Amino acid sequence: MVKRLTDYIKKQGGIFAKGGIDVMFFAFLMLIVVVGLVMLYSASYVYAYYKYEDSSYFFVKQLRNTLIGFVLMLVFSKLNYKLFTDIGAIGGTLLSWMLLMLALIMPAHNGTHRHIYIGGFQFQPSDVAKFALILTLAAILSKYHNVIVSKKPLQAPLAQRLNSTLGRPFFNDSLKIIVPCFGIIGIYCVLVLAGSHLSGTILMLSIGLILMFLGEVRGKWFVGGGAAAAAVLFIASQTNLLKDYMEERITSWLDKDFDPLGARWQINQALYAIGSGGLFGKGLGQSTLKHLYVSEPQNDMIFSIVVEELGLVGAALIIVIFALLIWRGVVIGVNCPDRYGALVAMGVVFQVGVQVILNILVATDSVPNTGISLPFFSYGGTAIIVLLAQMGFVLSISRSSRIRR
Amino acid sequence: MAKTKNEMKSSSLTARRGVILMVLIAALAFGGCIVRIAYLTLVKGESYREKAEAQQLSVTTLEAARGTIYDCNMNVLAQSASVWMVYINPSKVTDDNRNDVLTVLCENLHLDRAELTEKIAAHAESNYLKIKGEVEYAEKTALVDAIYANKLTNVIFIDGDTKRYYPNGSLASTILGFTGTDGNGLYGLEYLYDEVLTGTNGRTVTAKDGVQFELENAYEVTYDAEQGVSLQLTIDSEIQTILEEALANALEETQAKNVYGIVMNTKTGALLAVANLPDYDPNDPYGVLYESLTAYFEENGTETEKADPVAAARIEQWKNKSIADFYYPGSVYKVFLVSGAYEEGVINDNTQYTCYGTITVGERHIKDFYTTGHGLETPCTLLVNSCNTFAVHVGQMMGAELYFKYFQAFGFSERTNVDLSGESSPAVGITYHDPDVSFTYSDLASASFGQSIAVTPLQIVTAVSAIGNGGKLMQPYVVEREIDFQGNTVSVTEPVVKRQVISERTASTVAGWMEKVVSDGTGKNAYVAGYRVAGKTGTSEKLGSSDTAYIGSFAGFAPANDPEISIVIIIDEPRGANYSGGVIAAPVAGEVIERTLQYLGVEPTYTENDISTMTIAAPALTGLPLAEAQEKLNGYDYTVRIVGDGETVVAQCPESGRYTPVNGVIVLYTQQNLEKEQTDVPDFTGLTVYQANKLAVNSSLNIRISGSGADESSVVAYKQDVEAGAVVESGSIVTVSFRTTSGVHD
Repeated sequence: MVKRLTDYIKKQGGIFAKGGIDVMFFAFLMLIVVVGLVMLYSASYVYAYYKYEDSSYFFVKQLRNTLIGFVLMLVFSKLNYKLFTDIGAIGGTLLSWMLLMLALIMPAHNGTHRHIYIGGFQFQPSDVAKFALILTLAAILSKYHNVIVSKKPLQAPLAQRLNSTLGRPFFNDSLKIIVPCFGIIGIYCVLVLAGSHLSGTILMLSIGLILMFLGEVRGKWFVGGGAAAAAVLFIASQTNLLKDYMEERITSWLDKDFDPLGARWQINQALYAIGSGGLFGKGLGQSTLKHLYVSEPQNDMIFSIVVEELGLVGAALIIVIFALLIWRGVVIGVNCPDRYGALVAMGVVFQVGVQVILNILVATDSVPNTGISLPFFSYGGTAIIVLLAQMGFVLSISRSSRIRR
Repeated sequence: MAKTKNEMKSSSLTARRGVILMVLIAALAFGGCIVRIAYLTLVKGESYREKAEAQQLSVTTLEAARGTIYDCNMNVLAQSASVWMVYINPSKVTDDNRNDVLTVLCENLHLDRAELTEKIAAHAESNYLKIKGEVEYAEKTALVDAIYANKLTNVIFIDGDTKRYYPNGSLASTILGFTGTDGNGLYGLEYLYDEVLTGTNGRTVTAKDGVQFELENAYEVTYDAEQGVSLQLTIDSEIQTILEEALANALEETQAKNVYGIVMNTKTGALLAVANLPDYDPNDPYGVLYESLTAYFEENGTETEKADPVAAARIEQWKNKSIADFYYPGSVYKVFLVSGAYEEGVINDNTQYTCYGTITVGERHIKDFYTTGHGLETPCTLLVNSCNTFAVHVGQMMGAELYFKYFQAFGFSERTNVDLSGESSPAVGITYHDPDVSFTYSDLASASFGQSIAVTPLQIVTAVSAIGNGGKLMQPYVVEREIDFQGNTVSVTEPVVKRQVISERTASTVAGWMEKVVSDGTGKNAYVAGYRVAGKTGTSEKLGSSDTAYIGSFAGFAPANDPEISIVIIIDEPRGANYSGGVIAAPVAGEVIERTLQYLGVEPTYTENDISTMTIAAPALTGLPLAEAQEKLNGYDYTVRIVGDGETVVAQCPESGRYTPVNGVIVLYTQQNLEKEQTDVPDFTGLTVYQANKLAVNSSLNIRISGSGADESSVVAYKQDVEAGAVVESGSIVTVSFRTTSGVHD
């Protein structure tokens, strides 16, 4: 048993990763983490004082979680990521499914089942699930890469009949992997959606599709997968719970005068904040819209306060740093000697990218309001811990990446 | 190593292409985000910033305190006091705090819980709901404590507000007017001087947060309020009260539609009292104070007035009719006719005229009230008898041109320009205002005795004052002084002489004749013992109304030789047999003149006749040994009654200082705890002064004589302030009003 384990470790290249981390990626990351913390404090202190009579309520908790995440990041960056290929896929999936189901049976909070509460702490399993999905798909797509790119016709009777009708091997062996993958993505999505977490579902689906795409799944299967996903979303949207919720969000997006003191209050205030920022902003700490106008400014709408205080220039700089982080993550992934590492690295940074883009689109009223947090900026314990752990993975991968320095 | 190379190779071109595509999509999306933010900050920024600022600025109005209105002795007539307005933010009422909110509001503001619950539920979505206005200080303080105790500062709010108080109720209400709910003047002086009284509101502009608390250290700019200016009126509350009491009695007695009266300082034109009854309480201007007014419109109103008599009554009661309404002055006008004629030499002291009771002008026969004719008359007896035929004759002698010269000179063709709101301009379209339109002899005849010319009561009292004031016509005014909030005088009204209407000689001659009117003529009922009253009575028919309606009036001044006050009393549409000004208006004028001159401290000079009806203050006898008291009483003409067997006076009735007739009754009690002697009040109505006095002494009562005190057979009692048959303490004083109904018609 022990022998097998040591053999496995030896085969994967040892417990610890060798080589140095990518300093540029680390630098971008640290820059974002620090700016994110500063902005969280600036955006949240008024609300924190109003709600808890403690200006640093959110900041202190976020700082604590950031430190926990930082430790995790260091640990993961030191470990050989390949060790997690199987454990990450099987263990991560089972764990996150269990946690998601646990959240479902927990008492509802604000009408949703997104969190698990353990002795005063709250925990959002979908944050873990996102990572688990990346690890799972990366493991499958790298392990069965040859099947995915295989052009061998599928031997199933129905496929054979269809292929002969079409006159070419349209249904090939890759489906053996692709269909289960879509199935896994589907289960993740359904579990998150069941907790009334539409934004989480959209993210889960985006991550899944991006990884499938990066895993060289042929474009034609995305049509099928996309159609299936759309069907699932449509059916889900017809359930009463989601219907009202979505309807209001879409109505309030289309009709800018809709319920200004209710549904559109937060987004209107976010727009006022962004508009008030101008080119250079009012200066750090100088936001007036955070004075209980923008509701929960520490959360999804934090970016509006960032624009108000730092202006278009500051906001653009932050977006550029995010872009650089993603670019650097992609470079690490592309230069990673193994497909698993490449997929994990790119999956993680693209996940960050999708979240940043969706968050900004929401804050700027460009898409209907869905609650997507801004990575490293928005308040949220599970999110920051898992994000930093993910960054640890990328750093670990960067150690073996063959970037020309 | 080889294996790694192998894997690298398998990273095929398609994979690379996929990555590049993803990176491109991400770059595009990031670029799109930046473009979108640029659009929102640079293009839309201005409008968003404005909206943000609009919601962030909190403007608190600093209400300028409305000026106070004082009477001439700085007694408050109208004053604003701070009150508070309570409102809530219903959207902040939750299931958790609803109970507290209801309890706090209901307990402190005395509201109905069920009603309030419903009201809040109906406005659950809104952010503002007024709960109660005009909350007074004590209530407000208790509410504030309760709000803090229950932590409801983000639900229940209190705003400052002001309320106008009129401490004397309806006193001088038609002059003062009233204010609306937002504190602006709607009627009367409150309306006319609204701008002066209001001042300018200040503002405090502060930044606020989304939950309406003020931001700490945020900027704050205050524009101070400019406090309203106070007014000191020429109105004297005391005289106003005297006038209103007299008018109220007249209104009740005559059942008239309206009664008006004005008391003016003869020499300055300052208005001392202006009353129009029925009036209203400016503290509740929408309530109708006199049911008789509503009843009048129910009975005599137009179709619309009949449909809503209360609304008609409401508007009527607000009106300052003594400056707004025209009436035919009737025989009162004869003093102006005679003044003009005398001034122009048309008549002189020696002019004689024989009245046969009728005069023919063109086709028209004009009858005198006294149809048998007054016989040989002088200009003086023209007024004393209020002779129509002689007046018509004088008018004809003057001609229209001279007639109107004095009509205009006395101010009847123009507004008096009094500083009161609602003064009517002289009616337009009436022929005498147009010199081009020929005025027939018949028209002139009517005009000579004051019929068919429309004037306001204020014009009449102002014109009468000119006669008392050596011929100088004054501009009437009611605001003596404007005072700023620190008590500094902003402006003082100086009396304005409009013009010399008639010479001083003419004025004093006519004034002398007018005094005769009161002492010997139709104005007898305005006679006041001790004061020389000059006046003229008038009775006019209200033309145009379906039933014959009359206006009885009296205008005059006193003391005749050096007048302090001028007065006009008008009884509009009296009911019953008595409608002559000499019967119904003159006694009112007499009462007001007497009490006013006494109040003003004008020294009375009694005639021999007066002394017989004079009153005297009862001496202080209580506490004295009986013998000493009796000795003291030897100097008086009292009928003394002693009750009890004691040696010391322990009580007396009337009490010392009370005015009694010189030959009245005084009851002395010489034992403690004796039951007071009672007596029945007899009916004095119809008795002469002598008879009434005798009856009073026999009933162990004292009478106070009101009105004409002349001991003549025609002067009889017509009312008494204590009903006949009532039981009162022996020695009590009963006021009995006398008047004559003979020789006072005009």
